[in-house]
Amino acid sequence: MSTPHTPLEPDVVTRLILDTDPWLSCDDCFRLVDTYVESLLDDAGRDLAERDAMSAHLRGCPACLEEAATVLVLAAEDRGSDPEAALVHLERTIDPSGRPER
Amino acid sequence: MTTVGSDSVGTAVTFSGDWTRALSVPGPDQDEAMRHLHLLLLRASRTQVLRMRSSLGPVGSDVVEEIVHQAADDAMMALLGKLSSFEGRSRFTTWAYKFAVLHAATHVRRRAWRDRDVHLDALDVVPDRGATSEQYAEAADLADAVRQAIDTVLSQHQRRILLALVVEEIPVDVLADRLGASRNALYKTLHDARRRLRTHLRETGHLADPDQQAGTT
Repeated sequence: MSTPHTPLEPDVVTRLILDTDPWLSCDDCFRLVDTYVESLLDDAGRDLAERDAMSAHLRGCPACLEEAATVLVLAAEDRGSDPEAALVHLERTIDPSGRPER
Repeated sequence: MTTVGSDSVGTAVTFSGDWTRALSVPGPDQDEAMRHLHLLLLRASRTQVLRMRSSLGPVGSDVVEEIVHQAADDAMMALLGKLSSFEGRSRFTTWAYKFAVLHAATHVRRRAWRDRDVHLDALDVVPDRGATSEQYAEAADLADAVRQAIDTVLSQHQRRILLALVVEEIPVDVLADRLGASRNALYKTLHDARRRLRTHLRETGHLADPDQQAGTT
């Protein structure tokens, strides 16, 4: 460990008790991420339960979020869409302070 | 299907045809599809590595390219092994990107953490709350409650994994490597620890109900 301990600042407290229900595993996130990013780009709620579970997982798993964001950027570029706007849409969708967009 | 894109060094990646069929049947079409697929994976891998480049520190472009190519090669192997699982629920290209992105991100995180030790036994002491939270009584009260809950309601394993992933921000795949565990298993531990903390904090009145938790924090 390079640093002994990071103090529990408010943002850390928020992440410690984040609501990441409904449960979804990292493997399932990987399985679904391509359809998830395309549903964001199409603004189509293909399977809302699946989309909510993906959003909850991405809120709580920084590694999966980092990867999903890149898949989104690449898919947006393929469609001629603005990748930055797509990323903003992703952030808004998984925002813990609000309900996921539908 | 015609796929037109470019890798991030500007090389056109164009393929006209049925990816899964072309990749499955030996012959000239397969060779062509494999070549285009590798370009596609290089583009995805390079995009991921460049997005994470700052985490690598001062490394040269040779290191970056080495990671890009290694990840694309690994992704090619993984994708071809899973080709029969492609259901057509997304574009083939989007499906393919995720393999390269996963491998590239994992390579970058391993590289970024390769000289850093991870000692879980140092995570038995819950950190103090931050000084800034003292300015806000409610936030300070919640931080203290969370700190106490981590100490009292979680198992030692849950506490260590929670603090390693959330407070120390050790990437989940790096921690999985070091512990000989799977990414899935660690995320499940994290998920269960968070759920147990929330349940306890609701019982002690620090969280109102699940729908209002985000606002409380």
